[in-house]
Amino acid sequence: MRHIPDEELHAYLDQALSRAQCVEIESHLAACHACRELRDGIAALRDRTTALLATLAPPRRFPPTLDQLSEEAAARSARRQHIRRAGVWAASLAAAVALGWGANTYFSPPAPMRVASPAHVPAPIAEAPADSGVPNVALRTDDRPAPDPSRSRAATPSATSPASAPPTASSSARRPEPTIIEPPRIEVSTATLPPIGSDGGLGGIWRTVSWASARNERGDSVPHLDGLPVVEVQVGQTQPGGNKSIMVVAQQLKSGQVIRTIEGPAADVSELLANRSGSPSPWPTLEGAGISGGDGAMALRHGDRMLAITAPLSNDSLRAMIRRLNAEMRQK
Amino acid sequence: MDDLEQLYQTTYTAVVRFLYRKVWDADRAEDLAQEVFVRALAHRPEKPRAWVFAVAANLARDEARAAIRRKRHLTLMTNDPDQAPAPAMAPDDQVERDERLTAVHDALETLTPRDREVLLLWDAGLSYPEIAAQTGLAVGAVGTTLARARKRLVDAYDRQHSKRDHAAHS
Repeated sequence: MRHIPDEELHAYLDQALSRAQCVEIESHLAACHACRELRDGIAALRDRTTALLATLAPPRRFPPTLDQLSEEAAARSARRQHIRRAGVWAASLAAAVALGWGANTYFSPPAPMRVASPAHVPAPIAEAPADSGVPNVALRTDDRPAPDPSRSRAATPSATSPASAPPTASSSARRPEPTIIEPPRIEVSTATLPPIGSDGGLGGIWRTVSWASARNERGDSVPHLDGLPVVEVQVGQTQPGGNKSIMVVAQQLKSGQVIRTIEGPAADVSELLANRSGSPSPWPTLEGAGISGGDGAMALRHGDRMLAITAPLSNDSLRAMIRRLNAEMRQK
Repeated sequence: MDDLEQLYQTTYTAVVRFLYRKVWDADRAEDLAQEVFVRALAHRPEKPRAWVFAVAANLARDEARAAIRRKRHLTLMTNDPDQAPAPAMAPDDQVERDERLTAVHDALETLTPRDREVLLLWDAGLSYPEIAAQTGLAVGAVGTTLARARKRLVDAYDRQHSKRDHAAHS
């Protein structure tokens, strides 16, 4: 009588055999004591293997839902698009720098470009058109000038889940509300800001954060120029709690020049820019952040938020950059 | 229910475990498992179960090539007090568990790559034909390989155990 080979008993116990093979094995087992013993030994070996392998298990955690992973998959295809856009960014940035430099050489006096003479600069920051009298399709029924949730959301889109968004914001995101239509014209001006009075100091705290945690905190609304290496991200907080933080992202051009993009509450950003001009800064590490009086600056205001760029570049370059940045941030 | 959704619910843990036994880092195993399912969502494979484990095996192989793996492996093996142990476990239990884990890990490492792969795929719940498709073995050879792999794993573990006991008593 032929005994059942080892591997066949493994396959039998693993339920990997056909019904016919199983019948054959079972009838043999019924008659053969030696094979029954072998089968029991293999069953024990099998159980021990399973038990040993069971110790090699990581701690159990709650897995993400498949929906969350679907979002990740969708975000990934969006990122691929984003990378394509980054290329466009880099090219237009190079063009903007070259253009600005050219304009500088031909049209500007050799003396320092921007002398801080705040008294002669009346209202340097451009308001968003709705607040500055430029015709706008937005229909505003209230008389409050700036804060408009849908507008500020549009200016600083966040990556938080839709479920946590207030119902008004999410409904306005779905319906094409007139207030979030891109204004027909964007006013940009140089920001050689008047220094603030001694009583206007902000008791701010700066902290340097990693790029990853900045993205965590702000999602897609971290101000930055795609395609340039980020050298530092700083977050300033004037009021504890809330999302009132101001974010400064420093990026470096190949030439070594540092461009800073700033996003935050309008009052804080203008104050920060004002302090470039050399007056003692209320922001503890403003000088350390390298925003010096020599750097040019451009700012754009949207409601109660402000977006700004500072860099040792000409106004033309800065203007081109902030327009692009603004469009980019609103697109996200 | 969507096939993939069902697969996700039934096999996610098995994929994490499968990966953990290859990369020896719980966090990394979770990351890779999620990566596997993100890819599955994008590809919508025809035979999702086999596909998921094939991709997991590939990711683990790529991971193994990275030098970082060795460092992480060391972290796992040294019972680092900074890595908070499960609070419910008494310290003695924890030490014993770690020793056991190390012993099984070492025993598993004594297997040939093919034997180990077949054993881990079987333990992850794949059928003989699925294992055969992934490893390139004939279906008939899967039983032979599993028989050998199981025996070697248990023998290697027992050998280490008796060696340790011997060391403890001398």
